[in-house]
Amino acid sequence: MPDNWGFVLAAYGLAAVVLIGYWRMLVRRERDLEDRAGERSHAAPISGHPRSKPDSRTSIQ
Amino acid sequence: MRVLGAVTVVALAAGLVAGLGLAPPEVTQGNVQRIMYLHVPSVWVAYVAFAVVFVASIAYLAKRADAADRLAHASAEVGVVFTGVTIATGSIWGKPTWGTWWTWDARLTSVSILFVMYLGYLLLRGMIDDRERGARYAAVLGIVAAFNIPLVHFSVIWWRTLHQPPSLMTPGPAMPRVIITALLVNFVAFSLLYVYFVAKRVHLLRREAEAAA
Repeated sequence: MPDNWGFVLAAYGLAAVVLIGYWRMLVRRERDLEDRAGERSHAAPISGHPRSKPDSRTSIQ
Repeated sequence: MRVLGAVTVVALAAGLVAGLGLAPPEVTQGNVQRIMYLHVPSVWVAYVAFAVVFVASIAYLAKRADAADRLAHASAEVGVVFTGVTIATGSIWGKPTWGTWWTWDARLTSVSILFVMYLGYLLLRGMIDDRERGARYAAVLGIVAAFNIPLVHFSVIWWRTLHQPPSLMTPGPAMPRVIITALLVNFVAFSLLYVYFVAKRVHLLRREAEAAA
């Protein structure tokens, strides 16, 4: 009876790489989505007109 | 979701122990037959995934429910992943048992067509900008492509193939109980993994749709 453990480990290893890779892709996309949602909530003005940045204001003569 | 993930990891670990440790080597093939505990549950999950695409696609066309479309999309993606695993592990199993990595046998060819059809399904979804139109076209393809599933399954009965016929549900000498148990543990583990992946992907699709709106 041949041993062939190498083929068995190759099959299990390849399956693990594919399945873990897919899981990591899902986790990464979820994190990206959360980051984007966080950025958007920080960027949104609370109310009224957005304030200008201090360095863009001209000094009073 | 975390609990489901944890239960899935435990089930997969149990499947690994059962398939690589507890199950004895097969009499003629030796240890290489242990690939069965990975290959057969993978194709089972692929069948289930594409059957879910079929049902969800019909539901989408009937009710135009976005939830059904998201389920079809997620299930197709996970089905493609598991079909890829099935083809790859089958090829690795084929080399020591048949003496070749690949042959144009009816089972191998039909499962490759299944893989390409659902890859096309995912590409179609990505190519059409109009979300509603893309979902409609994908639903039609999801229904048509499902007719390939029985063709894949019965190909080993309808044609003379190198691939062995189904051994679990056909009459003949009974498999040892330990082999059937190891296979069942892996069936449960892979089914849980399918549910976990689809639930995570559906959740992601819903959040992406909310962010785009």
